[in-house]
Amino acid sequence: MTKEQRLKKRHNAEKRFRFYGLASIFFALLFVLILVHNIFSKGSSAFMKTAIKVEVYFDKDLLDLEPGASEEEILEADFFDITIESLLKVYPAKNLEEEDALIELFTTDAEIEIKKAFLNNKNLIDKKINLEITASDDIDQLHKGNYPRDIPEDRRRISNFQLEIYDALVENKTITKNFNNYFFKNGDSRDPEIAGIGGALVGSFYSILICLLLAFPVAVLASIYLEEFAPKNKITDFIEININNLAAVPSIVYGLLALQILLATIQLPRSTPLVAGITLALMTLPRIIIPCRASLKAVPPSIREGALAVGASKFQSVFHHVVPLALPGTLSGTIIGLAQALGETAPLILIGMVAFVVDIPSTPIDPSSSLPVQVYLWSESAERGFVEKTSATIMMLLSFLIVMNFLAVYLRQKFEKRWN
Amino acid sequence: MENVKIKSKNLNVYYGEKQALFDVNLDLNEKEVTALIGPSGCGKSTFIRCINRMNDVIDICKVSGNIEIDGVEINDKNLDVVSLRERVGMVFQKPNPFPKSIYDNISYGPKIHGKGETKSELDEIVENSLKKAALWEEVKDRLDEPGTGLSGGQQQRLCIARAISVNPEVILMDEPCSALDPIATAKIEELIDELKKTYTIVIVTHSMAQAVRVSQKTGFFHLGKLIEVGKTEKIFKNPDNKMTQDYITGRFG
Repeated sequence: MTKEQRLKKRHNAEKRFRFYGLASIFFALLFVLILVHNIFSKGSSAFMKTAIKVEVYFDKDLLDLEPGASEEEILEADFFDITIESLLKVYPAKNLEEEDALIELFTTDAEIEIKKAFLNNKNLIDKKINLEITASDDIDQLHKGNYPRDIPEDRRRISNFQLEIYDALVENKTITKNFNNYFFKNGDSRDPEIAGIGGALVGSFYSILICLLLAFPVAVLASIYLEEFAPKNKITDFIEININNLAAVPSIVYGLLALQILLATIQLPRSTPLVAGITLALMTLPRIIIPCRASLKAVPPSIREGALAVGASKFQSVFHHVVPLALPGTLSGTIIGLAQALGETAPLILIGMVAFVVDIPSTPIDPSSSLPVQVYLWSESAERGFVEKTSATIMMLLSFLIVMNFLAVYLRQKFEKRWN
Repeated sequence: MENVKIKSKNLNVYYGEKQALFDVNLDLNEKEVTALIGPSGCGKSTFIRCINRMNDVIDICKVSGNIEIDGVEINDKNLDVVSLRERVGMVFQKPNPFPKSIYDNISYGPKIHGKGETKSELDEIVENSLKKAALWEEVKDRLDEPGTGLSGGQQQRLCIARAISVNPEVILMDEPCSALDPIATAKIEELIDELKKTYTIVIVTHSMAQAVRVSQKTGFFHLGKLIEVGKTEKIFKNPDNKMTQDYITGRFG
């Protein structure tokens, strides 16, 4: 081979390598785009909610309430009759069957919505107001264009009569689309139109908080001890190998452990953020220790020697010099560990967080759901409303993860730049 | 007259199985500069790291034999290394300022030893240390800037100032100029000349010329053994040992 040929071969090898690299990046980006597009196109409509304008007349006799009634009396009062009265006024129905079909256009929570409006303004007795009552899931999906209307009636969830009403409502603009505050505020529900991630958000928040409080101090102190103080011998080698192995243990194993020890033996309340937090802390511990030790290791030994040489004790050299320098790496490692814990589903399913919980937990020992488990629960539901809610919950979860990862990068860069 | 400040007797050092120093007997005089020369890996650095017990940091390192400072044995398990290192400062091969401000670099030592209770006392210590290290004029207007932002030579003088700040009796220097350019080296050498009036200095160096310029006494190490020690003039003009002769004339090393 001549010199020119060899040179050409070398250049070609480099060109090929660059091409492979570019191609891999292209494919990776393509898949990310497909994923994001899929989630957004399915989920974005969940942030809007369809409502129908209804004129409500708070009839004194039907309500059986006097002006100036106390809150308790109002809560006990029966709003069912005026709810039906008001809803039926939306469109003329000829018989009972048609009346039922008309009522079905609204959420089952219509009565509660009317009661809430009344509680906000107790002077409404014998007065009329216009309210926007949430539409049922079927109408919601139809209005958002997610439900086909050109299939035969017997295979459609919406009857021809209901379609007729819907078209009339669209015609006179009594049907509206608003921001869906229920999605963020409400707990889970069997009815997609009023189901929300409020309970899952609070549950995830408590779980991660407990996970942070347990895992962070233990992991950081363990890393400092192992890296700076522990003698290097067979026992510490063994511990190190075990920590590395624990970080690779499938998360469901931690769920089994929690099921046996926390629930069966210690008898902590099941389905609670407390148990979830402890389980996630166990799982996250080695995943924080590893980056923590790496960032301690990255502090040059010359800094330790410099401190020792002016007469600092071992403890002072570690806590005055090494730990502050390792802190950015430690923090970003912790945040990434927590981000993993936030998205963890399998162990939470085992400790009973899949339970159907409607109430929003007020303490970490109330039964609760969490964001990833909520995704899992809804993804199994047949209703179309849950399909968009599943994707919307994934969007929420992903945005939390992105924020946490950016925070980790930001912390690392901000504090590492300071002296260079 | 010459007072012996540091005395080592039958000093042996082992790194695990490997012996790094063999029966080193060496006396270092007070307020004098002693240079230690010899090829790489001959044990000069290991020797000076015994004087402030810096070898304690290395797990596998075992030291036997005696080192006395002012007649007091320091190779004693019960001796507090913190107060020993307060008396014996050290400057390393590569400048290693803390990634903190120039002021904090100097004030750290006094602070942990409880010297300079008030801000004004600390200010004074910082100013004096920097003046003694001939750095004050260059940095007095930017004491709050990071020490790592200085040039290599300035960083090394900052490290010398840091060592001075706790008012030691001995300063150990482990090839302090090996990472510096000739101009910075000249400055450090000038400084060493000045410092020997106050401190006992031990310097490890690879440069014969530097040993001749700064030291009064020179010790030549080879393969962990102290081959020859004596007045610098004598060692470089008329050494007793053939090996010393060969090394200083550049025949090996």
